[in-house]
Amino acid sequence: MNPTSPESQTGATNAASCRVPFLALFGGGALWLVVGLTLAILASLTFHKPDIFANCAWLTYGRLQPAANDAIVYGFCVPAALGVILWIFCQLSESELLLPLLPIVGANLWHLGVFVGLIEILIGGSTGFPSLEFQRGGSVLLFAAFLLIAISAFATFGARRRRELHPSHWFLLAALFWFPWIYSTANLFLMAWPVRGVCQAVVDWWFCANFLFVWTALAGIGVGLFYLFGGPNDEEATGPDDNQRFLTLFSFWTLILFGAWCGIPQGAPVPAWLPALSAVGAALTILPILTIASVALRAVRTRGAAPCRGGPRCSILFGTAFFVISGIMFVALGCPHIGPVIELTWFAFAQTQLQILGFLTIVLCGAICALMPRVMGFDLVFPRLARVRHWLFISGIVLFAGALAVGGILQGLKLQSLAPFATVTASVLPFYRVSTTGLLFLWLGALLFALNIFGMTLKWKLARLHSCLAWLRAPEETIAAADTAAAAGNGRAK
Amino acid sequence: MSGNHSSNPSSCRPPANRSGAPTWMLVLTLILGYLGGVYFDHHSGWFSPAVYSPYSSSTELAAYQPKSGAQAMAARGHLLYGQICAACHSDDGMGKPGQAPPLAGSEWVNEKGFHRVAEIPQIGLTGSIPVKGQPWNSTMPPMGAGLSDADLAAVVTYVRSAWGNHAPPVTASDIKSVRSTVAGHPAISGAAGLKAIAE
Repeated sequence: MNPTSPESQTGATNAASCRVPFLALFGGGALWLVVGLTLAILASLTFHKPDIFANCAWLTYGRLQPAANDAIVYGFCVPAALGVILWIFCQLSESELLLPLLPIVGANLWHLGVFVGLIEILIGGSTGFPSLEFQRGGSVLLFAAFLLIAISAFATFGARRRRELHPSHWFLLAALFWFPWIYSTANLFLMAWPVRGVCQAVVDWWFCANFLFVWTALAGIGVGLFYLFGGPNDEEATGPDDNQRFLTLFSFWTLILFGAWCGIPQGAPVPAWLPALSAVGAALTILPILTIASVALRAVRTRGAAPCRGGPRCSILFGTAFFVISGIMFVALGCPHIGPVIELTWFAFAQTQLQILGFLTIVLCGAICALMPRVMGFDLVFPRLARVRHWLFISGIVLFAGALAVGGILQGLKLQSLAPFATVTASVLPFYRVSTTGLLFLWLGALLFALNIFGMTLKWKLARLHSCLAWLRAPEETIAAADTAAAAGNGRAK
Repeated sequence: MSGNHSSNPSSCRPPANRSGAPTWMLVLTLILGYLGGVYFDHHSGWFSPAVYSPYSSSTELAAYQPKSGAQAMAARGHLLYGQICAACHSDDGMGKPGQAPPLAGSEWVNEKGFHRVAEIPQIGLTGSIPVKGQPWNSTMPPMGAGLSDADLAAVVTYVRSAWGNHAPPVTASDIKSVRSTVAGHPAISGAAGLKAIAE
């Protein structure tokens, strides 16, 4: 595309409108990803040497593990997904980011909420509900911040020029509605007006399935479809054909309909219809998973399997593959006969980690590394490290989740044979050692990702500082020079 | 994206291709829907709040309930104990300090004869009695006076067989005979009054 054409000029202005919100969302997200994986490694050390943090209350496993999970999920996944959603809405609307102040304020509030929540978990003030460990202060901040960012997303969505919706619109709009709904419902029923007894566990199971499976799937698949089918200005875009459009619509409705029923374990001490309905929901969740797999395979076939160089498409294909695997694991956990064998082993943990770190994080990091150069107007500071990061993530998650899943199945089978619990737990240790190695790979990858994001922030700030200084020295010349530089920068960005 | 179709020849398709639902998907949806329906029908208890896993329906649950005999009596006794006695003697039969003595392991409850333990709920007990080596000085009102013979027999039998107690069961006719002897008597007074009743 001609760099001086009016189209590319608007494209660059549209992209530039996202700069500050994205740096706030992704910068904080990258930091939380590193923090979360560091906490996860510390937590896993407890299994290698149980008394390693014996004298330090805030480093006990019961605090580190939820803190690590929440730092990764709430600290990285949600804000990063929101940023990528804003970008995709800008691209599909062919508009600039509307109300850009809201995502800036929202991002800061969000990160403040995560900070407050994590500190509270580490000093021992967790609520005790898995995935909802944040106390009232943290969760109120998160909820408000999400709404602020979502308002900007809806404004940008409303400004679109084509009435017709892109398939990724469906998923991402649903994700924007889904999170406030499940997060507020679960928090109201557990914290504000707590329901009694085992109903609390039911609410939390419902939330975990809806957040860690349905929401992550909506966000990740929505982002994935945008890069698989291409946006309106993508020259290589094939767009979804009618068949793919139908399959995607089918997977969307089956995912939000049946996925939302899942989550009640088969052995739960609740009236039998709850686990029975959950099992039916889990079996029917096979449909969206297989449909997404077939859409992705079809997209690969129509565009040919290009060699993987760490671009967004490559990340998305790997991410989708991990989604299919983790989805099948999720269904297995919900099935009668199979679920009770593996549910209280490392297998369930491996499934959520594969979903969060293997699927959503890989998809989001791929998307962020592809969109940031266009937003900032200059290339990644360390493009090679981004490629290294891609492979570190993939090898890391295969080692981490793969070892735990295999170990979990063996653990479940041994527990069925009534072997002593301590022996069974000890026999899984070799797998656990492999998984910690995988975690180290992931941690290194997160570090490289953060390095790139912060490198870009620093470069941008330095450039602004330079132009300010130059303007102080010679105002008129600088303005003229800035105009030409901006034009050249836009050319590079395309 | 319709906009792309015009610029991209590869996606120009005749509109006849619109209905592109693959057969495998429809078949799989129907099979899973059918199997899911059958599974739910067999395992859900149709939303009954009383049916818990591993049971699957209200009828199955009802089939496990004893209709008559010793089991039915034990179930009736357990129910009545929970409604009437457990407030003071507590669900586990351990009693409450300063309020009511324990029934679990109590020497009075575990006597072979039933007369003493059957009279107490009918006419009440005041004054001090020793239970498991501890003196208890409290008043028991005639809580069982309003119960039918069969119900009182069920409660007394339950108390005499639960929590490790091992005294023989009491029948409705036993209670009837006790009731006729104590009609109009004042409350039993202390350990002496209790010992005065023949075992």
